[in-house]
Amino acid sequence: MIGFAGLSHLGIVSSIAAAAQGFDVVGFDENPQLCDDLVRGQLPLHEPGLKELFETHRSQIIFSSELSTLNRCDVIFISVDVPTDASDHSDLSPISGLLDRVITAAKPGTTIVVLSQVQPGFTRKAQVRAERNGGQLYYQVETLIFGRAVDQAVHPERFIVGCADPTTPLPSAFQRFLEAFGCPILVMRYESAELCKISINTFLVAQVSTTNMLAEICEGIGAEWREIAPALCLDRRIGPYAYLKAGLGLGGGNLQRDMVTVTHLASEVGADASVIQTWAAGSLYRREWALRVLHREVLTRCDQPAIGIWGLAYKEHTQSTRNSPAVHLLEKLTSFDVAAYDPAAVLPDGVLPHVHRSSSPLDACQDRDALVVMTAWPEFADIDLSALSKALRGRVVIDPLGLIASDRAQAEGLRYFRLGTGRFTTC
Amino acid sequence: MLTHQISKPVIPARVIVLGARGFVASNLIHHLSDQQIPVVGLSSDDLDLTASSSVSTLAELLREDDSLVFISALTPDRGRDIKTMMKNFSMGQSVCDALARRSCAHVVYLSTDAVYADEATLVREQSCVQPESFHGTMHIVRERMLIETLKATSTPLALLRPSLLFGPGDTHNGYGPNRFVRTALDSKQVALFGGGEEKRDHVYIDDVSILTAQVLAHRSTGVLNLATGESKSFREVADCVAALVPGTEVQPSQRVNPITHRHFDISALVAAFPDFRFTDVRTGLERMVEKATAG
Repeated sequence: MIGFAGLSHLGIVSSIAAAAQGFDVVGFDENPQLCDDLVRGQLPLHEPGLKELFETHRSQIIFSSELSTLNRCDVIFISVDVPTDASDHSDLSPISGLLDRVITAAKPGTTIVVLSQVQPGFTRKAQVRAERNGGQLYYQVETLIFGRAVDQAVHPERFIVGCADPTTPLPSAFQRFLEAFGCPILVMRYESAELCKISINTFLVAQVSTTNMLAEICEGIGAEWREIAPALCLDRRIGPYAYLKAGLGLGGGNLQRDMVTVTHLASEVGADASVIQTWAAGSLYRREWALRVLHREVLTRCDQPAIGIWGLAYKEHTQSTRNSPAVHLLEKLTSFDVAAYDPAAVLPDGVLPHVHRSSSPLDACQDRDALVVMTAWPEFADIDLSALSKALRGRVVIDPLGLIASDRAQAEGLRYFRLGTGRFTTC
Repeated sequence: MLTHQISKPVIPARVIVLGARGFVASNLIHHLSDQQIPVVGLSSDDLDLTASSSVSTLAELLREDDSLVFISALTPDRGRDIKTMMKNFSMGQSVCDALARRSCAHVVYLSTDAVYADEATLVREQSCVQPESFHGTMHIVRERMLIETLKATSTPLALLRPSLLFGPGDTHNGYGPNRFVRTALDSKQVALFGGGEEKRDHVYIDDVSILTAQVLAHRSTGVLNLATGESKSFREVADCVAALVPGTEVQPSQRVNPITHRHFDISALVAAFPDFRFTDVRTGLERMVEKATAG
């Protein structure tokens, strides 16, 4: 039996994916309300395919807020969220505390795996505590991608496992569990695995930053980034899955957290990580792109401008608004009349009270001087542009991520702006 | 980044402007007066900040609810040497000593974008400060003087770093729009360094006054670059002047120095003043030519 301690986004998706592989699963969380909701089949988060997978495999999962429920498990994953402060520093105390409680509750000899992201050095220090109970402690790199979490959990590209000694075979129950997913298993020392996760994110940040920098040059010289990106994808050194979509800087919070960690580690060991500062500044700059265009095209040209916003979530297929470029934009528009629509995300009560919540994409455009598309929800690409054009009072559509077809927008008489195409010119 | 201490603009009780005879200050005083804002302009004739007696004079003049705009400086055309820099330091010291004796409601300091490294091609408020001239060094040191002085009294301080300024009334003869208009009107010629390829962000003087007034009205604190976000080459500016002054010939020359460009990320300015619109270079030049030919 497999246990998950901490029913975070990661914990819920991972526990359902484990059940889908045929394992009996215990999902533990210290929040009884959350457990009760899950027992009743209510998921607290949105991920494509998760609801269906949950319905199919619900019977294999015991959700409980009783710690003792975990003592029947052979392998227990620690899957609690890692909180970060306003400066993106991780607070590992919740993991540390939960780990101690789980070690105490687990039956002797249980394999415990830290799935939550920790900083290099954490697991080796914690190993001693697990060994006291006769168990073994491992660290496994999580690769949760919001919006694609189910696919990633059910069909992982590989497992990366950190252990005290990579030459020692993994415990049989843990090995069987990992092999069930049919992907490569890479075993390495704790520190390597811990840094491996950070390395993956650092490469992603490098790709995002490089893409955005080159996309801006495209805007300046009349090139089209969408024409260039496919050529890069076919380069074996870059690859078909590289992050080559021009965007509004780094979203979410995990990438920023890891950049803080890299900077801290580099400072400790005396390595040069100044490029991280450059990436961070570039991300902040890119995040303001929509505001700069809106300022130039609308805010300085209209009396009492009214703005429509599509999307609040930091990316499509998620409810999370943390570090969302949309929310960041709305914070800058407090003196303007703004209506916003998002299919899943909502602003907490009392946050940004100047924003009117709209019931549909077209409702958010009604009598507005401009539309700004801030999240790449697929449904936005399917909106009837003729209806959109009629709903809007003005002509400006700012679509940084390029969801709307520029030629169709132009045919409707709209002034269309997107990242990576000319420099603030209509398409 | 600039932070507004007062979200809805409030007319300052009184604004004292130091450096009243200069290009920037005289325009600001004019603008504030037009807005019915009580303003007292002090030039070096009224208050010689290089003299130690200026400390007590200024301290006695200052009221608790005053806003002080510190613009006085010996500009590079008055000297690019150590002596000039030391005089500017001395002026900064006098103002700081006066502020230490008598606090006021708000201080605004007109600095310069010369505090940034010359090679910085995309400048933002967080860009590395690395002045490469006595002028830039002088401003960054005076910024620091004010920060340290006002820390003690928690007086709000705004540091404004304008890019290249142009407009009617400019007494300087620096390379750029002012000189181009002057020589076009005088001799129908505009001389470029090389082909005038360098791109710079040219800010019309009235915009500086309007933004400074807004900073005063919001009692803003922090650092803000005053730039339009649209850099133009000197060639483009010269061509614009030539179009406005018929018969003007734009004359390139042999290039001596390598081409450098400067652009600004104005996200912070847009965030602080989302509905503010800059005067475009052509409009600004038109006003200059109009005023010069009318006068």
